Amino acid sequence: MYRYDEFDRDFVSARVAQFRDQVERRLTGEISEDAFKPLRLMNGVYLQLHAYMLRVAIPYGTLSSRQMRMLAHIGRKYDRGYGHFTTRQNIQYNWPKLGDIPGILDDLASVEMHAIQTSGNCIRNVTADHFAGAAADEVADPRPYAEILRQWSSLHPEFSFLPRKFKIAVTAAENDRAAIQVHDIGLQLKRNDDGEIGFAVYIGGGQGRTPMIAKKIKDFLPEADLLSYITAIMRVYNLHGRRDNKYKARIKILVHETGTEELAAQIEAEWAHLREGELKLPDADIARITDYFAPPELPARAEGWAELAAWKKSDSGFASWVNRNVRPHRHPDYGMVTISLKPIGGIPGDASSDQMDVIADLAEQYGFDEIRVTHEQNLVLPHVALADLEPLYRALQAEGLATANSGLVTDIIACPGLDYCALANARSIPVAQEISERFGDQARQEEIGDLKIKISGCINACGHHHVGHIGILGVEKKGAELYQITLGGSGDENTSIGEIVGRGFEPEKVTDAIETIVSTYLSGRTGTGETFIDYYRRVGAAPFKQALYGDTAAAA
Amino acid sequence: MSTIVWNREGVVENDRWASNGDESPFVGIDEALELAATGGSDIGVIVTPADDVARLATIIDRLTIVAVDFPAFNDGRAFSHATLLRERLGFTGEIRAVGAVLLDQVPFMLRVGIDSVETAHEPTARRLTEMRLPGIDLHYQPAARPAEPTNTYSWRRRAAG
Repeated sequence: MYRYDEFDRDFVSARVAQFRDQVERRLTGEISEDAFKPLRLMNGVYLQLHAYMLRVAIPYGTLSSRQMRMLAHIGRKYDRGYGHFTTRQNIQYNWPKLGDIPGILDDLASVEMHAIQTSGNCIRNVTADHFAGAAADEVADPRPYAEILRQWSSLHPEFSFLPRKFKIAVTAAENDRAAIQVHDIGLQLKRNDDGEIGFAVYIGGGQGRTPMIAKKIKDFLPEADLLSYITAIMRVYNLHGRRDNKYKARIKILVHETGTEELAAQIEAEWAHLREGELKLPDADIARITDYFAPPELPARAEGWAELAAWKKSDSGFASWVNRNVRPHRHPDYGMVTISLKPIGGIPGDASSDQMDVIADLAEQYGFDEIRVTHEQNLVLPHVALADLEPLYRALQAEGLATANSGLVTDIIACPGLDYCALANARSIPVAQEISERFGDQARQEEIGDLKIKISGCINACGHHHVGHIGILGVEKKGAELYQITLGGSGDENTSIGEIVGRGFEPEKVTDAIETIVSTYLSGRTGTGETFIDYYRRVGAAPFKQALYGDTAAAA
Repeated sequence: MSTIVWNREGVVENDRWASNGDESPFVGIDEALELAATGGSDIGVIVTPADDVARLATIIDRLTIVAVDFPAFNDGRAFSHATLLRERLGFTGEIRAVGAVLLDQVPFMLRVGIDSVETAHEPTARRLTEMRLPGIDLHYQPAARPAEPTNTYSWRRRAAG
């Protein structure tokens, strides 16, 4: 993985000193909360319902064991013994004191981490496929490009006061695990007919109150032109993105109102001035960054095949876990292991400091010191020998980290909701917990198969409900919480926005409604080979409406 | 302390382009184009956020100073205007930030080619007067103001001098 050089280290220390000065000016009252707000946001500090919240950047979701231990330490020392992994591959702490935050940033800097641009109207943490560097289906590792973008966008003098936040995601496989089509810029790494690396460029995707699927504006951008082209996009957006209404300020609205072709032409015209300039990436620089991401040396461990078969036969719990949480690695003797942070009835994405320490140890012992955070709020050990799966499973099980539900109905994404967030209209976490309890039986979950439920506590859609196979949106109606259900969303290479199925449900009726939806699918599917989303795409919303609301709604 | 004009040398006294009460020393782009068309030079023009700076291309040599307007802390369009003035239009005269200029944006302003700022914000004015800027000398990207390349990657720069 990427390691800081002297420049990076000096930069991050200078940034901590800068922020410490800003906090001191705030604490002495020299700057008002209004003036401090954009400053703290640019360093990941939010003011939530009960306290400040600090969001720490985990660039493209990649962590070492040493870094994970520091995250555990921060949870223990400055928070309440845990942290919360987010849908943008970051971690946030819900209870730090403002005066402690510069100290936390010092601790983070000691392990090459920071909180730069994890919020605010700037270019946010760049995300990538959580299986990068291990997946069999990728063209090349996307993380070197994400790292180059991370560096280039850090404290960018022209693009730190954009109309709104700006999110970039990079994937390198046809099977898109980074949800690039719901990002402001989505980059799909590919090779052209000559074998050269470049990117298909998508812009204007996003969720929030106006969900939109990104439009492709370039089929093949040569890798050397990455920074000049992104600069052109950013400049056009900075100058022309709407600033009169924060809900219309994302680039998706600019794309929508200007027209994809016209906006692409403006970007192209701007790029023409920049393309041969100083942002052109030399091959040698790309190669040097890429070297940092060289995969670990993976020795042959063919004995794992037979052992795995025997273990699976003797322990059905282990077999379930392997079937759901282990994916084929590009090396046949290895697997990519998902560590579920979705225990039955738990809070999606939470991990205790003790659990983080154990995961750090296991990553060292079995996983070549690499950990990933997924946008689905789980963790991944990307390189584990099949021969090590059984002891790994036992160790995870002892910490409540071996839930065999990756991709199943209880692998729920949920935003913090009204329990923490100042923007929320409704609670998300208790809804997720109740659904998880209801569907917690392993055999039943497996019978239901792949099904993504995503829950947001308000229209800002941090829980990605628009792209859930089943999406749940909490709204406030006449002072009470009400939950709207959407069906048919998807955040992969076949991205679709879910459609509202009908009138909303009171909190105590949501889980029953989900049960009705699941039963409708189970009784209607052609067989276990037809997943929930396939079924929905075949039959549409009608049978679900019928089951949920009866004849009147179905006819309407 | 009232409104000050500041550049990297320090506070500028009796500056001829300082705002004078409600009276602006600057003209808008339309008026600047008219002045230039009738032979005017030594023009001070103000660029507001929605303006297209490219319209100044034909009269760039007649301009002594361009003021770029920051109406609010969260409106960052002037950062692009200044960049384009320097890099696209080749403007070599003075660029001044006016409006809601706050301390923590000043280092960014200097990097995109702004030379001077006018501010009425008291804590900002005090820190600028004391020459205590909160900037960072290491940059992960080139910008309009020239900076030294580093011996690491092509996109990095170190503040000159």
